[in-house]
Amino acid sequence: MASFEYNGKAVDVDEDGFIEDPSVWNEELAKALAEIEGVTEMSDDHWKIVHYLRDYYKQFGIAPMVRKLCKETDTPLKRIYELYPSGPAKGACKVAGLPKPTGCV
Amino acid sequence: MSKTSTISPKSIKDISKSSDQLAHVDLKDLPPLPPPYDDMEKLPGFKALSEEAREKFDASLDDTLVVSHPKPATPEEEERLVKGFFSGLEKLFTKENNWTFLEPLTMSMEHCAKCQTCATDCPVFTMSGENEVYRPTYRAEVMRRLYFKHVKKGTKVFNSFQNGGIDGNWTTISRLMELAYRCTLCRRCAQSCPIGVDNGLITHELRKLFSMEMGISPKELHEKGTVQQLKVGSSTGMNPVAIKDNVDFIDEDMTDRTGIKVETKWDVEGADILLIHNAGEFLAWPENPGAFALMLEAAGVSWTLSSDLVAYDGVNYGLFYDDAQLARVAARHLEVAKKLKVKKIVMGECGHEHKALGVIADRVFNNSIPRESAMTLMEEIVFSGKLSLDPSKNDFPVTLHDPCNITRAMGIVEPQRRVLRHIAPQFREMEPHGTRNYCCGGGSGFAIMSGHNFADWRMHISGRMKMKQILEAFGDTDLYSDEVKKYICAPCSNCKGQIRDLLDFYGAKTTSGIYYGGLVELIVNAMTDLSEPFLDWDMM
Repeated sequence: MASFEYNGKAVDVDEDGFIEDPSVWNEELAKALAEIEGVTEMSDDHWKIVHYLRDYYKQFGIAPMVRKLCKETDTPLKRIYELYPSGPAKGACKVAGLPKPTGCV
Repeated sequence: MSKTSTISPKSIKDISKSSDQLAHVDLKDLPPLPPPYDDMEKLPGFKALSEEAREKFDASLDDTLVVSHPKPATPEEEERLVKGFFSGLEKLFTKENNWTFLEPLTMSMEHCAKCQTCATDCPVFTMSGENEVYRPTYRAEVMRRLYFKHVKKGTKVFNSFQNGGIDGNWTTISRLMELAYRCTLCRRCAQSCPIGVDNGLITHELRKLFSMEMGISPKELHEKGTVQQLKVGSSTGMNPVAIKDNVDFIDEDMTDRTGIKVETKWDVEGADILLIHNAGEFLAWPENPGAFALMLEAAGVSWTLSSDLVAYDGVNYGLFYDDAQLARVAARHLEVAKKLKVKKIVMGECGHEHKALGVIADRVFNNSIPRESAMTLMEEIVFSGKLSLDPSKNDFPVTLHDPCNITRAMGIVEPQRRVLRHIAPQFREMEPHGTRNYCCGGGSGFAIMSGHNFADWRMHISGRMKMKQILEAFGDTDLYSDEVKKYICAPCSNCKGQIRDLLDFYGAKTTSGIYYGGLVELIVNAMTDLSEPFLDWDMM
């Protein structure tokens, strides 16, 4: 298992940089993960996506479908790519501390 | 004699020799793609495997890792692994342990004439710049020599002379373990073999040996795949609450977009059809199950989905690596179909679901519930006259990708084409196509594997032939412009994942306007009942 260091702390991540244990997530960690994703400043729009993803994950144990994310946060897909250049799954979900998607998705 | 016609015995033996890396692919050796994708300098490169990964895992085969098995920590552990392999190898050749595939496996072990007809038919080998270790007979020949030496035994002199000479050490075995995951199991090689040797099957049996005897398999297929599916309900991690929430959203979204009330049916007892989608569709391509619901309702079909664990996910990754896991998942599909007393199961747009449920699970089903392909169901509906269709709504270039499991493995070739010829005026074939198709490069579960730098291997090597075919199919259009939108119809979730990754990697959507999707979306897009186009290019 690889590890990722932020503010002097280390968290376990998988080979693609997704954190292994979603419960260790906090906003400081999110900012550090965002930097790797090329996001230097977490704006309100960035947080809106992250909080939606986390709330959904707490309720259902998985990430929401992209269309639902767009509709319920009122954010077009193009805008999500502007916010998170690697996209909703590889970028936003990683910053939100969700596990990497599995199955044929 | 051509470069591919001979095989050097020296290179086969090399698999046992310790070195950092047995094989390496240099991007400049790869056959070029058509313009504007012919300049390797302008394309994303092939990331090197990290030093950390090379240190930690058995990574001495090539440039990448799939299985990612930790290096044995002690000589004892290494010995235990080697013993495990040979115990598994013996079991593969006994009726009580491998009644399913013993006969074709033994035939394939004993009868290869080394003619190399298969090599020129293998997209991985040819598009890797003919790298020896990716030759379809390479892993087969290593396996064959181990078989003759350790299982068949007898005739010692003959074996050491003809078939022996390979050292079954951990270096050999750990490389075979990774090499079992450098083939997409497309079985084009088996089709081209003049005597029916099945190198795809040999690869499959190797994967089985590692999983069923040694507990070694890629986590995407096992831990996050079949194990998660049997426990949570789906390989995507969707439990029954999540799937219902998602489908409610899809119904609502479809209704909003089309103005036609869409309501998915759940757990309807006695329905004619139990439709089982690959659950990845609900999350990644919700238009697909949405379009099915819309089409089936419009055609007045009696259908249902199941909300029972496993039965709302047609995925059965056991097909790729483990017979026992395959049977467990298939048994669940059967159980639910019986419980609902449906007339038949219809397999959605998912290739490996077709092969697992439609063919391999035959002996689990024992003729109790018929299974039908969504391809024939769609054909029947389109030509029944129950839908009012206007093909001019699909007046853009469309090509068809043939999923190997639907076409080559099952011979379902024409239904999907008859539909496309009817509803897509600019339909054109890829060459070759039908049972002679090329794999998308994501077959056997590769499309869901991206760990370390494996995505780069899939994009540059295993998916290269498909990318070439796609570009050639649209060769009559301006590939330097995205103005004309072009559509690859790929009726398979796994293939769609791979094609999405290819189009992203090569920038083909923005450069050439190439998009992809399933078949049912095109049918619904042609329906005259919809005032707005069903295809939403901005979301594709």
